[in-house]
Amino acid sequence: MNYGVYETVEQWIPEKSRVLDLGTGDGAFLERLIQSRQVVGEGVEKDATLVARCVQRGLVVHQGDIADGLDQHPDGAFDFVLLLGTFQELVQPAEILREAFRVGRQIIVSYSNFAHYRVRLQVMLQGRTPVTHSLPAPWYRTRNLHFLSVADFESFCQDTGITQSRRAFFSVRRQIAVLPNLRAETAVSLLTLSGGVVIPPS
Amino acid sequence: MATEHPSTQLGDLQDQTVAGYRSALGVTHTTTVTLPGIRTQSGFQFEAVDVNFQTLGKLSPARDNAILVCHGLSGNAHLAGTDPQTGRPGWWDFHVGPGKAIDTDKFFVIASNTLGGCTGTTGPGSINPRTGKRFGMDFPRITVRDMVQVQAALLNYLGIEKLFAVIGASMGGMQALAWAVDFPERTRICVPIATCTAHNAMQIAFNEIGRQAIITDALWNGGDYSEPHFPAHGLAVARMVGHVTYLSELAMARKFGRRRQQDASDPHQFSIESYLHHQGDSFVKRFDPNSYLYLTRAIDEFDLFEKAAPEEVLREVQARFLIISFSSDWLYPPPQSRDLVRQLKRAGVAVTYLNLDSEYGHDSFLIDNPPFADVVHHFLNGEYTAAPKRPASSRFVPEI
Repeated sequence: MNYGVYETVEQWIPEKSRVLDLGTGDGAFLERLIQSRQVVGEGVEKDATLVARCVQRGLVVHQGDIADGLDQHPDGAFDFVLLLGTFQELVQPAEILREAFRVGRQIIVSYSNFAHYRVRLQVMLQGRTPVTHSLPAPWYRTRNLHFLSVADFESFCQDTGITQSRRAFFSVRRQIAVLPNLRAETAVSLLTLSGGVVIPPS
Repeated sequence: MATEHPSTQLGDLQDQTVAGYRSALGVTHTTTVTLPGIRTQSGFQFEAVDVNFQTLGKLSPARDNAILVCHGLSGNAHLAGTDPQTGRPGWWDFHVGPGKAIDTDKFFVIASNTLGGCTGTTGPGSINPRTGKRFGMDFPRITVRDMVQVQAALLNYLGIEKLFAVIGASMGGMQALAWAVDFPERTRICVPIATCTAHNAMQIAFNEIGRQAIITDALWNGGDYSEPHFPAHGLAVARMVGHVTYLSELAMARKFGRRRQQDASDPHQFSIESYLHHQGDSFVKRFDPNSYLYLTRAIDEFDLFEKAAPEEVLREVQARFLIISFSSDWLYPPPQSRDLVRQLKRAGVAVTYLNLDSEYGHDSFLIDNPPFADVVHHFLNGEYTAAPKRPASSRFVPEI
C-alpha cells in the first residue's frame, strides 16, 4: 500500500535535516531516516504500545495526537514535518497544515487517491463503497474521514496558497507518471508556503 | 484497628505485605554520613547535615553510570532490597534491581532520605546543635531546592561529578526538575514522573487538610512532643487523606467496592475504611508529624519558575528528558506534565513524553507496572548506550 512512498520521502530529505514525524507508528521509518540521512528527528504517536517501541529504538517521541504533537514546538523548529498516511484521517486537515507550517518550513504529505480507476469502477459498477489496496478497510471500520483525489488535493493547495514543490504517484507496485488522478493509488507531495500566503482559518 | 490488608496492587511496598514477594537484591543497608552544611533558600545556615543513603550496583571506572533516585513524600533512603530491621522490601523494589526498570547490574543507584525527612537525614526531629534539643518547629523553612543542595553534597562526598540520570516521582519528580535546572552540567538525563512544576490550588488544599489534622491534634503541642505522646492520630488522618488522593475511583471500586471488612469488630465497617485505617496506623510507626508538615510545605511552595519565565529558566538545561504521567492520576493530572513538556520543547530540550494508561491513579509508579517499567528500562539503557555518540548538549537552536 505504501510502495515507493518511504523511498521517495527519504530521497527528498537532505542530510542532517530536522524532522518531525507525525503519526510515527513504531518509529521504523524515523529510525531509518536517522541512520541513512543523519536527521535530527522526533516522532508523535497516539498509541502507547507503539510509543514504547519508539522508546526501545532510542527515538525521541511524544505520546499525543497530531495537534498536540505540533503544539509542543516553537515556530520554525523543524525543516520537515511528515504527515505520511494519516492525512485523510485528520478532522481538520487545513488547520493541521497551518500549524505544521508554523513548526516546520516544509511538509511532506502522503494520501490515498480516491479517484483511482478501481475505486471508480467499484462505485459505478457495484454501487459499493470501495475496498482497495490503498483503502483496505470497509466503510464501518475505516479511519479515513475524507475521501480526496489527486485533483481535489491540487485545488485544495491552490485555494490555500500551498505550493507542491515535488510530487510522486504510485500504484500498488510502480511509480505513475501519466494520468495520476486515474492511475495512482497513493500520492506524496512536498509542500511549501510561498509568497507569504497563509491558509485561512476554516 | 484493622489487621494487615491483603493488598497486592495498591500503595507502597513499605506499608503492605505482598504474599510471596522477595527482593532480588537480598538484604540491603543504608548508611548515615555527616556532610558540610548548606545555606537554605530562606537564609538559614546548617553547620552540618546528616544524610542517610543507600547505594546499589557498581560505579563504573568512568564514573558515568550513577543514577540518583529521589523519593516522594513518604519514602526514604531504603530504595530496594530487604530492610534488615523490618524485613520489608524498599519502597521501589518493584522497579530497582537486577534487570529491572533501573538495572542495578548496569547502573550505580543512589537514594538518600531528603532534608527535612525523618529516617536519618537532618530534619525537624534532629537535635538542634544550638540548643541541644530537637528542632521541632525551630527547624528552618526548607524548599525542594534545599533538598537538592543536600543531595549534591552527597554526590560530592561520593565523588560523582555528573549523574547519568536523576529520577523521581511526585515530590521526587520536583527534585529531579530542580536538578536539571540548578545543576545543568551535572545532569545528563532527567526523568520526572507524575509530577509538576508547581502545585495548583487543589494539591495545596489536600496538603493543608493533612497539616490541619496534625496541628489540631492536642498532642502536637506546637511541634514539641516526644514519644509515646505524639500526634499519631493527626498524622494518621493526614495519611488517610493522602492515600485517597493517590488512588483512583476505579481502583478503589475494584479493590474495595462496598464490601465490609470481615474481621472488623464493627460489622458495619467498609473495607475501604479498614484499608485507610491500616495505612494510617502503619504510617505513624515510621513517620514524624513535624516532617510531614515541613515536607508538604516545601512541595506546596515549590515553583520551578519562581525566578524567571520558563524559557529563561530552561535555557541552561542540558539534560535529555523522559516525562511520564498516568491517565488516572488526578492528584498530578497529565495536563501538568504536558505543560512541562511544551515548556521544555519550546526551550529546545529533547523530551520523550508518555501518558501511560493505568487505572491505579498517582500510585501507578509505585506498583508492579510492566508497561511503565519497560519504558523506563528501555529509555535508560538506550540513552546509556548512545551517550558517548551524542553531542554534549542535546539542544538545537531553532532557525529564525
